[in-house]
Amino acid sequence: MKRWSRWRELLAGTAGLSVTLGLSFLIAVALILLLSKQPLATIRWFFIGPFTNKYYLGNMLNTAVPLVFTGLGIAVAFKSSVFNLGGEGQVYSGALVTTVICLALPAANGYGGGLASLAGAMACGAVLAGLSGLLKMKWGTDELISTFLISSAVGFIVNYFITGPLDDPANNLLASYAIAPQYFLAGIFPPSRLNVSAGFAVLAAAAVFFLLNYTHTGYEMRMCGLNREFSRYGGINVSAYVVLPLVLSGALHGLAGGLAVLGTQHMAVKDFSFGMGWNGIAVSLIAKNNPLAVVPAAVFFAWLEAGAKAAMLHSDVTFEIAAIVQSVIFYLVTAQALYGALRRRKVRL
Amino acid sequence: MKPWEVVLSLVHNAVGIMTPFLLAATGGLYTELAGMLNIALEGLMLVGAFFAVVFAGLTGSLALGVALGIASSMLAALLFGLVTLKLKANVFIAGLATNLLASGLTVVLAFQLFKNKGVVRFELGSLPVLSVPALQGIPLLGGLLLGHNLLVYVSWAIVLASVVVIYRTPFGLRLRGTGLNAPTVASLGLRPQAYQLAGILISGFTCGLAGAWMTLNLAAFVPNITSGRGWIALVAIYLGNKTPVGIVVASFVFGLSEAFSNYAQGALKVPADFILAFPYFITVLAMILYSMWRHYRARVR
Repeated sequence: MKRWSRWRELLAGTAGLSVTLGLSFLIAVALILLLSKQPLATIRWFFIGPFTNKYYLGNMLNTAVPLVFTGLGIAVAFKSSVFNLGGEGQVYSGALVTTVICLALPAANGYGGGLASLAGAMACGAVLAGLSGLLKMKWGTDELISTFLISSAVGFIVNYFITGPLDDPANNLLASYAIAPQYFLAGIFPPSRLNVSAGFAVLAAAAVFFLLNYTHTGYEMRMCGLNREFSRYGGINVSAYVVLPLVLSGALHGLAGGLAVLGTQHMAVKDFSFGMGWNGIAVSLIAKNNPLAVVPAAVFFAWLEAGAKAAMLHSDVTFEIAAIVQSVIFYLVTAQALYGALRRRKVRL
Repeated sequence: MKPWEVVLSLVHNAVGIMTPFLLAATGGLYTELAGMLNIALEGLMLVGAFFAVVFAGLTGSLALGVALGIASSMLAALLFGLVTLKLKANVFIAGLATNLLASGLTVVLAFQLFKNKGVVRFELGSLPVLSVPALQGIPLLGGLLLGHNLLVYVSWAIVLASVVVIYRTPFGLRLRGTGLNAPTVASLGLRPQAYQLAGILISGFTCGLAGAWMTLNLAAFVPNITSGRGWIALVAIYLGNKTPVGIVVASFVFGLSEAFSNYAQGALKVPADFILAFPYFITVLAMILYSMWRHYRARVR
């Protein structure tokens, strides 16, 4: 009986998700028909462009890597019924910290210095998000808004450093000095930019899955997510589980930024991480906050972005159509009416 | 300038700058009272801002621009409302979707219409010249008194009207009832969802006006021109203790902080990025102080 209802649940969820994704594809096609003067070519580039050569394919997968980390960060928070809307700033500042540490240690060992720089990125994200958690714990400050506001403010400060003190006058980009080559993560799919951080992403997904489902802490986090009052009654220190999920979430976001610098950018570029935080939320929702499902969901989102990029390069539409398609997914992904009356799960509110 | 003159001009500027905060927060108050967290304020403002200036440019009429800007924003609000109420999507995720859609759609349309993803100016483009400075020339209600444009006074009128609508009409009572306890409202034979949808549409109306104020003032559309004002307006609702008068005070504080940062940029030579970050820091600080106040007040009781 229990197993049967689980299957039905899964079926209802899959059906809803198919409707959501199908509708988003329809919107993409409709947009292209409306906006493009050569719609057939544009549609082709949008949907199969990312698979037409190794370079595009590898870059698409590489785009998915930070989305896996931000998606995991959001999943950890949502599983505990805590919101983190500050992903954008946490990724961006993590990238800055990694760059600064690498620039400060131009001659260090690649592994040691690289690890230190990633640790710095994680610490930075953890502190930014954890701060909102502490405020929530102490005075009940709404973390949903405070994470967003802090992250937005921090974004401007990062911009200041990238375009001010760290700006490399030799390049024509709004970007910092490049980090030393011993820090570059090894490429695994030349000529694309895909690198070993893709492996880290899969490992991270497995680790978060393990943490949430097979550890005491993870159990308590999920309990708090399901029902905070009941968890308090059961003797769980519930106020700690406002801070801890946010710290973990922030650290994963910071790591996304740090790895993007070491693996892909090799410097801090102004606004390079735009959208990684927001899309992490969508990725996590598509994955139903399941860490293992975050990986395919991130690849799916990367496909949309890569498709829009390919369509922009080879045809006449602009990249931002991806944002419209993504917003359609956002609209529908939590729409319970689409997911059948069986599902009663709520994120919050 | 003497210090008091600086303060005077700061206050004068703040009264103008607070307009989008005031409008968006007043509209957001209706949704808040109906029991919905309206994250979409930001996106609704952006939609209003874009279509107001585009339609004003196309038709050559400011009034039409404002009206169609508001209509577009209400249309976006309708979409947000239907997805939330009919498809039962999470109100907060649907709000994020609205913001994302607004920022994507405006850029795509700007690119499609003007082949430009940056700042679109409306006097210089191939479009009929839009006499946006004429906004200053419109006979102002108290033009000599304060010298702000008409929309500022419209925003004040909307706040006054809201005091009446929210606290002195059956509609307002039922709206607030929906937020307090929707099943009770339903038990009276009313439809709580209708009041929630009305609240969302009202927030679309005021956000459209707020957006129109921004772009028509500038005679230009800048991508993401709203730059977080919707979020700050959301905080203003809480800081204003969910009352129209409180929202006026909170919006004025945020207007003042923005006026001050504009002044600081010119007079004190602070880097522009710090100036841009300043309103967010002030808003976070205000939020923290507010929650501390609530926290300790609750403990005293």
